[in-house]
Amino acid sequence: MIPLTNFLVLSALLFGIGFYGVLARRSAILILISVEIMLAAVAINFIAFAAFRDPKGFSGLVFALFVIAVAAAEVGLALGIVLRLFRERRTANVDAANTLKW
Amino acid sequence: MTGGLVSLLVMGPIFVALIALYMMSRITGGEVIFYLASTVILGGALGAVLLPNLVHSSLSLIATLMGVAAIYLMLLSEFLALVQILVYGGGVIILVIFGLMLTNAQDDPVVMDGSQKPFAFGVGALISGLFVAAAVMAHWGDAEATLIPFTTFGERLFRDFSLPIIIVAFLLDIAFTGALVNARRAESAASEEAAK
Repeated sequence: MIPLTNFLVLSALLFGIGFYGVLARRSAILILISVEIMLAAVAINFIAFAAFRDPKGFSGLVFALFVIAVAAAEVGLALGIVLRLFRERRTANVDAANTLKW
Repeated sequence: MTGGLVSLLVMGPIFVALIALYMMSRITGGEVIFYLASTVILGGALGAVLLPNLVHSSLSLIATLMGVAAIYLMLLSEFLALVQILVYGGGVIILVIFGLMLTNAQDDPVVMDGSQKPFAFGVGALISGLFVAAAVMAHWGDAEATLIPFTTFGERLFRDFSLPIIIVAFLLDIAFTGALVNARRAESAASEEAAK
């Protein structure tokens, strides 16, 4: 059987890739995609710990379920904001959202 | 185009090597599936953050999310795997692709990467390295993944966690109402623009 460590390493690599995406890409939608990757890594961790360490309790699974629900809410809200940004600035580049910056 | 070629060149040999190892019965079927899913997940994630074309990125994301569903199945939580496929494959991906189309991303300069790429690579590698080191060095014992049956999970979910579920329902409601209100062309803003 596959040990817990393999799942944790997979999730760590996935989280690092998502983190790189958030910092390196400038398109708002790509940043959103990278955040989804990071959330998937977190959910893998939750479910791995739930399955290996806490089979009687369900906290890990419920947390993963809520991570998925909050991720869906976040995508909907963020796309609304991106559409608004696009309408005002004609671009989805986050560097264009600099009204509070001088 | 080149991105797809590179991913084929990288992932193809890994698939072939896994199947060869399985034929020589050096690894078990479960391990073959785990490493196949890991290859798809990490390859898809790399494609999503590296490919210059936004549509290719979002299609790579599908591979990653479906691979994650396979990992959930390997961890014996079928319910979460189904939720993952339904919510991400059916909802989130559609939303992201709608967002791409509505913001007309093709007109933007194709690569919109900032100058902080090396810094981002350093931080991502550092975080990954730290987590991998922590996961490898810790002693986790030799516990096995245990199956959590559908029915038990459903009972526990709606008996012990009913309040959090109601709260999440409110959260989703508020978030999507907010998204609608925010994305709608505001009447006052439109008339102000016209006045200018």
